[in-house]
Amino acid sequence: MSVSYQPVIWNRTKIIYDAVLIVAIVAYVLIFLKLGPMLSPAMAETNPPILRMRAFGSLALILLTVVLAIGPLARLDVRFMPLLYNRRHFGVMTAIVAATHAWYVLAWYFAFSPTPQLLALFTSNTSFAQVSGFPFELFGVFALTILAVLAATSHDFWLSFLSPAIWKAIHMSVYAAYAAVVLHVALGALADGRNAALGVFLFASLGTLCALHLIAGRRERAADKAGSPEVDRTGWIDIGDVSEIAENRAIIGAAPGGERIAVFRSKGKLSAISNVCSHQNGPVGEGKVVLGLVTCPWHGYQYRLEDGCSPPPFKERIRKYRVALSGTRVLVDPEPLPLGTRLEPLAIPEDTLAAPAAPSGG
Amino acid sequence: MLKPPERGFFVGYFKKVPADIRRLMLVFIATFIGTFAAAAFVLALDTDSPGSGSFAGPPPEGEITGTIDLLPYPVLRVAASPGSPARAIMLAGTGKFGVSDRAEKLKGKSVVVGGFFVKRGDLEMLLVGGKMKAEDEQPADLPVPQAPEDLGRWRLTGEICDGKCAAGAMRPGTGLAHKACANLCISGGVPPVFVSTAPVEGRSFFLMASADGGPMPAWLLNKTAIPVVLEGRVERRDDLLVFKVDGQAKDGGT
Ligand code: FES
Repeated sequence: MSVSYQPVIWNRTKIIYDAVLIVAIVAYVLIFLKLGPMLSPAMAETNPPILRMRAFGSLALILLTVVLAIGPLARLDVRFMPLLYNRRHFGVMTAIVAATHAWYVLAWYFAFSPTPQLLALFTSNTSFAQVSGFPFELFGVFALTILAVLAATSHDFWLSFLSPAIWKAIHMSVYAAYAAVVLHVALGALADGRNAALGVFLFASLGTLCALHLIAGRRERAADKAGSPEVDRTGWIDIGDVSEIAENRAIIGAAPGGERIAVFRSKGKLSAISNVCSHQNGPVGEGKVVLGLVTCPWHGYQYRLEDGCSPPPFKERIRKYRVALSGTRVLVDPEPLPLGTRLEPLAIPEDTLAAPAAPSGG
Repeated sequence: MLKPPERGFFVGYFKKVPADIRRLMLVFIATFIGTFAAAAFVLALDTDSPGSGSFAGPPPEGEITGTIDLLPYPVLRVAASPGSPARAIMLAGTGKFGVSDRAEKLKGKSVVVGGFFVKRGDLEMLLVGGKMKAEDEQPADLPVPQAPEDLGRWRLTGEICDGKCAAGAMRPGTGLAHKACANLCISGGVPPVFVSTAPVEGRSFFLMASADGGPMPAWLLNKTAIPVVLEGRVERRDDLLVFKVDGQAKDGGT
């Protein structure tokens, strides 16, 4: 959350995150390009620019695979959420590595020719009607263009400039980029049948990513579909038992329309707010009340319990809902209050409060 | 009742990292870097040998004298001399350039050419360096190279490559990743070469030509770098075989 946009706001986590990323990238490149030719005569015989293309190309593929795995991993185990925090730097780094690969290709396969490099890239191979020999480079160009646009618009300035919905939609195109990368590798390096390890890696990573997304997606859908039961045709929904809510944490219910609602318990009081963070739709209800403010687990945007607004000078707002207790059952009116409406948290009666709060381990 | 330890909650800007998250992240970081290092090993060592082609240095005499055939691509015909039979040497320029323009002006003259050979098995190409010019003193009568000898009609299986990269100017200089590069070389005038899976008269490399002996037809650019079965006549010019392609085999190739 920020009122004025700085190029990049640094903190210790981001520095460690980026440092780990850079160490992994440098290790990969050094092992591939320096150690490889010492160990393998075949590598020593291969032109260094071609080795560089391969090193950076395969590295970009690995980085893209990992960055796409972070989302579902964090959905499946909340302890992976810290990986989401700085994911955009990961994405930018991936784009840079991919661009380095492309640069080596242009400066070698498409250079030294009477045809200008970029023109050559698009015109030298026109075998569009065949699978074997298809100009697979174009899939790479397509993927790199997407990665470059995503990297360029990764900053929070673009998020608020474009609106979170549009920003999120644009950034979903990373999946199109991944599909293009798979085709790029399959029709290029793999079609020759000379790169067994790369082939195994490509299909293993594709399978893993699909499985992770399917499992995480199925879980979400099951949660949405289950919905929260309506109470006696009052329109209100039963979200759970007050004893299930740990102090400063929430339980999450789903309104009939699918909108998720989080009910937080803090200092003996209950507050219902939208589960959807106004930053990037993060799951607010999986966050925690920190210093009296609901804190989103993805990037730490904060909201007040009483009105769903971020404390000044920030201007983000999420919806509030009416909450009531029937015995120990927590009921919520799925009709949201207008944004910014103030509603004091509901005090849990003494005798109900006596019931022990749920352990928050998990 | 004992309360179980609270699940850690951490957002990047917090000062303190809860113990359980710290533990998981340390394991993750070690695995992450270790996986990258291991992947680099495995993928690097997956490299195939680019084959035997390589730069083979300048001609032993420094320069070679001969006459030039312009079609299908510039070939230097070197007359036989005591101890060495007549040769037909394919010529290419620097980068992805051929030497057709320069060769054109030297037609019908005795020519001296300097440069570097690239060589892979019996495939050999002279990469013309700075020097390619008419001899200062032209001989009274030019040696007449032997007429091409027709070796009949053949159906050959193999790959169309640019002769320069395939001979070792690029390593590897064949295959699909190299296809666009091969096309650029061929369009730039570098002689294309057919690498046959089975030899004809002991040779597996053929200079590509059209059926009428001109440069390789453009439609064959779609067939470079992939296994293909082609038909045409094969002719011999000194130690070089020329494959004059007239079509793709109906029942084979891609
Ligand atoms: S989604 Fe980024 S802070 Fe909530």
